[in-house]
Amino acid sequence: MHNIVPLLLPLEGDTSWPPSAASFNSRPLFPGLGIDWVNNHMMQAVIGALLVIAIWLIFSHRQTVVPGKRQFLGEMAYNLVRNSIGKEILGSEFRPFMPYLVAIISFILVNNLFGELFLFMFPTFSKIGYAYGLALMSWLLYNAVGIKKYGFGHYMKKMTLPDGVPVGLWILIIPLEFISNFVTRPITLALRLFANLFAGHLVIMVFVIGGTMLIESGTLFYAAAGGVSILFSFAIFALELLVGCLQAYIFTVLTAQYVSSAIAEEH
Amino acid sequence: MNDQGQGITVVSLLLAGLLLYGGAGWLLDSWLGTRLFTPFGLILGSALSIYVIVKKMGGVKS
Amino acid sequence: MLLEIGGSINMIGYALATLGPAIGVAWIFASVINGTARQPEARGAMLGTAWIGFAVVEALAIIGIALAFVL
Repeated sequence: MHNIVPLLLPLEGDTSWPPSAASFNSRPLFPGLGIDWVNNHMMQAVIGALLVIAIWLIFSHRQTVVPGKRQFLGEMAYNLVRNSIGKEILGSEFRPFMPYLVAIISFILVNNLFGELFLFMFPTFSKIGYAYGLALMSWLLYNAVGIKKYGFGHYMKKMTLPDGVPVGLWILIIPLEFISNFVTRPITLALRLFANLFAGHLVIMVFVIGGTMLIESGTLFYAAAGGVSILFSFAIFALELLVGCLQAYIFTVLTAQYVSSAIAEEH
Repeated sequence: MNDQGQGITVVSLLLAGLLLYGGAGWLLDSWLGTRLFTPFGLILGSALSIYVIVKKMGGVKS
Repeated sequence: MLLEIGGSINMIGYALATLGPAIGVAWIFASVINGTARQPEARGAMLGTAWIGFAVVEALAIIGIALAFVL
């Protein structure tokens, strides 16, 4: 039974009981070469990015007016993002943002599905640095778009001063709005993605590692409970599949939402 | 602004107000060695956040 | 296997403190759904008020987590 843990949790740093934040530590891929930043989780993210590029290249390769099956599938996936996120939230100005939205939803989706894919079994965004990186890109995007549309001064005024606040309260309200729009927004964006995947993966580790320990305990009753626990971890994997898709969608919707609020006219 | 936008605005304003003024109160407390400013800052922060939210959302006249 | 429970009792307090805001938020949006079902055209006005009520209630939950870490 000793091979269940490496099969179900191959990329974890530490598989001792109880699972903790240390279980999410990365391992350097080439130890001793001075390039310890090339670790297994970073390599997984790179593989995810290459996979996304490959998938969209295959979809868009040799397009025809009457789409074949392959092109039809690609257009369906693209239309889903365009209609339910782009047009719905950004209105008529959705077109320039579509490449970013499609890229980010496919990248997050692929990396979240790695959490349920054999050989990887680790959602990349359960390490918070990767989620911060994505949120930083969205932050740069919506601020750049707002500054480009309104100019720096007008954009800052629009983002930090709501209408109808008396002058005496400005000194209290301006820092509050500044923190709200430029600090808590991107941080909650990253934390939402990270926390869902981190918690889900931690639950999986509890079931898999705990179940293995129960099976190896030698008592028949405990071993049966451990078997049920391993089986139940597959139900959690199914739940994580749902959570992964949902969080990819939500991250993209919120990015579009922030862009939309940065370019929206004051009312 | 649509529903999702309103929800996000409300939550991020509340978090910002409580973090900013509660954090300021906590810093004052650990500097002066008192225990008074943290609750004061938290209440001030939540009051200001709710004020801004009322300003932004309360403009809907039916 | 030695069973041991560690951690801070503050988190139990925070867990208790979330119950009230949870019920409050649920009740607010349940009322909005009810009201929208009865009178769909009043949805905008109801949501505006609901967000303000949501903010007042949610502030309690956020104060709870802040105090759980600070105290």
